[in-house]
Amino acid sequence: MPELLAPAGDLERLKIAYLYGADAVYIGGTDYSLRANAKNFNLEEIKEATTFAHHLKKKIYVTVNIVFHNKNLEGLKEYLEKLKEIAVDAVIVSDIIGLKLAKEVGLDIILSTQASVLNYSSVQFYKSLGVKRFVLGREATREDIIRIKKEKVEVECFIHGAMCTSISGKCVLSNYMTNRDSNRGGCAQICRWVFETDDVPFTFMSKDLNMVEYLEDMMNIGIDSFKVEGRMRSIYYLATVIKCYREIIDKIKSKTLKEEDKKYYKLILDRVANRDSAPQFYQKFPGSEESYFQDRIEVSNQDFLGIVTDYDKKTKLLKIEERNYFQKGDIVEFIGPNMEDITYTIESIIDEEGNSLEVARHPQMVVYLPFNHELPKYSMMRIKVFDKKQVL
Amino acid sequence: MKKNKILITINELNDIAKLKELGINHYVFPLKDFCVGIPNTFLVSEIPKDVYDNSYLFLNRVLDNKGIDELKKIIDSLPNIKGLIFDDVGVIPLIKDKNFESILFLNHFNTNKESVKIYLQYVDSVIVSTDITQDEIEGIVKSNPEVTLFVLGYVNAMYSRRLLIDNYVKYHHLKRTNPLKIKNGAQEFLVYENAYGTVFLASPLFNGLSLTSLKAKYYFINSAFLTFEDIKDLLEGKSSLDFNDGFLNQETIYKLKGE
Repeated sequence: MPELLAPAGDLERLKIAYLYGADAVYIGGTDYSLRANAKNFNLEEIKEATTFAHHLKKKIYVTVNIVFHNKNLEGLKEYLEKLKEIAVDAVIVSDIIGLKLAKEVGLDIILSTQASVLNYSSVQFYKSLGVKRFVLGREATREDIIRIKKEKVEVECFIHGAMCTSISGKCVLSNYMTNRDSNRGGCAQICRWVFETDDVPFTFMSKDLNMVEYLEDMMNIGIDSFKVEGRMRSIYYLATVIKCYREIIDKIKSKTLKEEDKKYYKLILDRVANRDSAPQFYQKFPGSEESYFQDRIEVSNQDFLGIVTDYDKKTKLLKIEERNYFQKGDIVEFIGPNMEDITYTIESIIDEEGNSLEVARHPQMVVYLPFNHELPKYSMMRIKVFDKKQVL
Repeated sequence: MKKNKILITINELNDIAKLKELGINHYVFPLKDFCVGIPNTFLVSEIPKDVYDNSYLFLNRVLDNKGIDELKKIIDSLPNIKGLIFDDVGVIPLIKDKNFESILFLNHFNTNKESVKIYLQYVDSVIVSTDITQDEIEGIVKSNPEVTLFVLGYVNAMYSRRLLIDNYVKYHHLKRTNPLKIKNGAQEFLVYENAYGTVFLASPLFNGLSLTSLKAKYYFINSAFLTFEDIKDLLEGKSSLDFNDGFLNQETIYKLKGE
């Protein structure tokens, strides 16, 4: 059974990823990681995260995937030694010096997608240097993956999230446009910018990746790890995406996944990302249908209404921390780890002083909703986005 | 200028004689079906026999399995040329028992002395990235004099497997333009596409000829989109073309202030 691998930008996201069904999580340290401007984890937090993961019998990987300049080498080996001491399950590296030092300190090595591996000969080269698992370039086709699996290595493939337009690691547009080094975590997402030409403005942004349609096939060809992109995404996005893929994988395993399930999951996944998505390179070469052009409209997602932080069994009240405006009469849904989605009509909103409210207006405000049974902490309340029976 | 240490990509076979006159005698032939961002490419059979001894094949594509299999066949029947310059490390196992000089041009990597040192255990030279400063390059050359330095030509700023010009013209129903000039603010790029992908070349072109003062193994010139006369004028310091020195004197940042 393949591993479902989730991103986490901080401890809260890490906990949510595991709770919602991830088998493993990848995180970045405050140094040496390609999301330099995410919150990221210091060594103490990595230790806490690792203890948490291992307590759940789950795995944790740390990205050390920048392309190093001379001065970035200072302290690298000591950092890797610390990670070994903490007992993280592997490090994700792209630069060969990271690979060499990780091997020296005895860490398991995952080769980052930044290394752009698309062929068996590159796999043979890096395998001889000690790489255990390969995150293939997002351009890998089904046939490429099947051939590479013959090299008896673990293969990790992205299944969901934003796509670089470039082959990963082969883009320094950010360096030219903003002086921020994309291969050291400074990417300013220039592939989402608009450029002038002598004619219509030029854009080249890819739609997101979504492998719902091919997940079963990916399992059948032996991919070892299904990776979700997005260490800087919100907790709601993370929970929704991981829950969807957990359910899909489990349904495939139990042979209960139906076409209408896939249709529903695709709708939910597209909505939470605010962007369209496609399988991209896996089955066919992507063309203009798999890209956005300058007339794309991105609508801010207000679906996430609040997070469940507690439940009082005596008063039968759910404690909710608000994220977006909701009011009495709204029909909402609760989603949570290991539970079916629950549709709920808000009939009463109570504030912390016990006053009845018509609306909950302010993000972060704490309110209580009557509910007849306990919901797990970190369950989430969202607008009832689709009625599964109605849309299918 | 140590012209006998220059490796230059060939646009036109006619340029070889003129380059020879200029004192440049290492020729790099972009291999047909194995390059991106380069309009003129060659079959092995098109390389003139009299320059085999000083000729290199250039392959800057990221290769898939099919590409590796096709390359393997080419290498197995390759005449006695001098060497190969390539981006994909998958080429290394293919030539390890052959008698070719191997030069790794792993675009945007090889930005530090230790990584370069490791790769030099597997190849004869490594082209140092143009994404770093002159000081950083000096540090690398000092530790690894076997490196090659990119000193002149358009620099690859982005390489996509997608056909971005094709997608753009199809979507907007435009007449195809290849290369396409694009601009945002003061920064321009020359976008060039072939069947294997699209490359954004930073414009104006990179002139790092000052790097030839460093004691490296070779100096690499990418002549794509330039004429012989352009190259000659640039080498002689009398070009009227726009150019800059890239990041040689401008260090990039990656953490925003206050983060």
